Amino acid sequence: MPISSFMGLQTSLRGLIAHQQAINTTGHNISNANTAGYSRQEAVLTAMHALTLPANSGVTGFGAQLGTGVDVTQIRRIRDTFLDVQFRTANMKLGDAAARSNSLEQVELSFGEPSENGVNELLRQFWDAWSNVANAPEPAPARTAVVEAGNSLASALQAIYSQLTTVAAQAQSEYDKLTGPNGNVELWAKELAQLNDTIAHAVTVGQAPNDLLDRRDLLIDRLSELAQVSVTEDATGAVRVDFGGVTLVDPAAAGGYTWPQTLTRPGGKLGALQDLASPTGPALSFRARLDAVVADLVTRVNAIHSGPTGVDFFDPTGLTADTITVVATEATVVRGSDGNAGTNDVAMALAQLRGGSQDRAYAALVAEVGGVVKANLNEEANQQSLVDAIENRRQSVQGVSPDEEMMNLIRFQRGYQASARTMTTLDDMLDTLINRTGKVGL
Amino acid sequence: MSLRVTSQMTARNTLRDLQGNLSSLADLQRKMSSGKQISRPSDDPYGASRAMELRTEIGGLQQYQKNVDDGTAWLDASDTALGKIGDAVQRIRELLVRGGTDSSGQQARDAAADEIDQLIETIKQEANVQYAGRYVFAGTATDRAPYALLGADTYNGNRGTITREIGPGVEIQVNTDISGLLGNGDGAGDNLLLDTLRDISADLRAGDGDRLRGTDIVRLDANFDRLNAMRADVGARTNRMAIADARLASLEENSVSLLSSVEDADTPKTLIEYTTQQAAYNMALKAGANVVQNSLMDFLR
Repeated sequence: MPISSFMGLQTSLRGLIAHQQAINTTGHNISNANTAGYSRQEAVLTAMHALTLPANSGVTGFGAQLGTGVDVTQIRRIRDTFLDVQFRTANMKLGDAAARSNSLEQVELSFGEPSENGVNELLRQFWDAWSNVANAPEPAPARTAVVEAGNSLASALQAIYSQLTTVAAQAQSEYDKLTGPNGNVELWAKELAQLNDTIAHAVTVGQAPNDLLDRRDLLIDRLSELAQVSVTEDATGAVRVDFGGVTLVDPAAAGGYTWPQTLTRPGGKLGALQDLASPTGPALSFRARLDAVVADLVTRVNAIHSGPTGVDFFDPTGLTADTITVVATEATVVRGSDGNAGTNDVAMALAQLRGGSQDRAYAALVAEVGGVVKANLNEEANQQSLVDAIENRRQSVQGVSPDEEMMNLIRFQRGYQASARTMTTLDDMLDTLINRTGKVGL
Repeated sequence: MSLRVTSQMTARNTLRDLQGNLSSLADLQRKMSSGKQISRPSDDPYGASRAMELRTEIGGLQQYQKNVDDGTAWLDASDTALGKIGDAVQRIRELLVRGGTDSSGQQARDAAADEIDQLIETIKQEANVQYAGRYVFAGTATDRAPYALLGADTYNGNRGTITREIGPGVEIQVNTDISGLLGNGDGAGDNLLLDTLRDISADLRAGDGDRLRGTDIVRLDANFDRLNAMRADVGARTNRMAIADARLASLEENSVSLLSSVEDADTPKTLIEYTTQQAAYNMALKAGANVVQNSLMDFLR
């Protein structure tokens, strides 16, 4: 059975169009080689439905199928969603560890140990000053020095207290900023809801909105740093995003998202910030431990100092690091249990507090802060390398390789050239047929 | 799945490696410039707390040494004063022996009595010796002279003790109760040095040879023995101070070297690590420059 003389032209045209689209896709990939969250795309070329030639058209007597060329059936994005799930889990843990170590490093810095101006050193100077009073109880300078040493110690403790308080307050304000009106969570949720809408429209009419999907995945990646996310996709291509135990983005909800809400299972950065700001969090619990050291110091010093005449050295009501105050003055510093100028038993007993429970408790506290910070930095480094490894894996799948795109460019260009050659050949054939056939004897 | 290597991967990995190298370099640089292994507690939590304990310990040891120095000076002042009192007593004994023989005339005895009266003032003056503006023999009433010169022989100080802390919980008395030696003079009848000397002076003036040769010399010798015992005691305490000083100095030396081993950077080791790390960094830079540079595009027409 004869087939249309022009069919081959159509087949070549399809080849030209398909390769042109493939080259355009390659160009798109190359342009987005460095776009965050971009997954490479691939024009899927599929052979067209064959033209069925009826029976008796071949030597065997059976029919045949004649190919009719190529079509781009879809432009698909290449992405491994399992890696996305892994990435988000690891990224949440990284967000947690990073926020923690950031705050804890500030906690560590507020103690300022070991240094020449740390509380440890000031305690030493305080005890030295008492020893000097014991050595020279009569002259005023030694007593002035002990009051000064007490004041420096108190203000160093107050500084640590206020810095620890600031660390907790900063964590709270960062939390508020992220979750508040026009905070990142709300902005991202809003954009996700809009994307959901657009994507659902595209999917309904059978299109694959690759770049919008990339954008949506990128936003979910970012959310995963803040708290645990889980994503469920419905038939229309829209997603429901559960965030920290509550449903944040839901195509069914009015406006597409619900915020603000109270997270029931905050993990990630938000969870860490909540913990850091809470009274049981590291900053404030270390502050409470510091208060205990101060209470011990004040009580022990006062117990000895007030022995003979009932005069306190520190304000007995200032039992926390922010309220510790020296109330004794040069004139009221007690150095002995009787009125004699040379009696130094009280100053001596105070000097003997050196290295006592308050000194040891403070050193232990600093060591513990160091331990917690070190553990957290290790945790952060581990999570960071896990995230890096998964991101590498993801980039290996979805990333754009310039070499590969170059190869494709050559491949599709050659395909385009060959299709064009086919068309030229067909044109020549038609020329033969139309212009030079049936001219016998002319 | 074989790994496709893409441009973002290469860039990310190169950047991360460079940053890792650079932060190790910065760490080592800080160790070298500060000379400290530990600049924050998290560098080594155990080491940091050990360093803090050692610093407290060293602070204590240094203060104890100051206390020892102060106490030693106090004891030295006491010893010198007691030595001078001893010299005076020695001279008085000579005068007493000479005046006790009946061959010496009353004129000579009166002269001896005059000299003894002067020596009593010397003794009282020595008992009023001061160290850093404080009367060392006044007990805890360091602002009052123990004896009034040219006046009554009553002791004006008290019997309080003054101590110095020379080690954790170790106290040593630095003052000496001089009233146990000098007493309260004539009126008190306590047979102590001043009482005895006043009696000797009176007996000389009265020309009472029997008493001078008998009870007076016995009483003076008893007081002289007490004085020597007191000087021996002061000397023993000075000795304890000297021993404590040497011990504290060697303890301090130990603690300082311990502290250095805990918190000081090992310079040769750090230097070698730094050089190695720098080589690694340079290599990473070079590799980065080479890897990122080339692509298929360099070889296409």
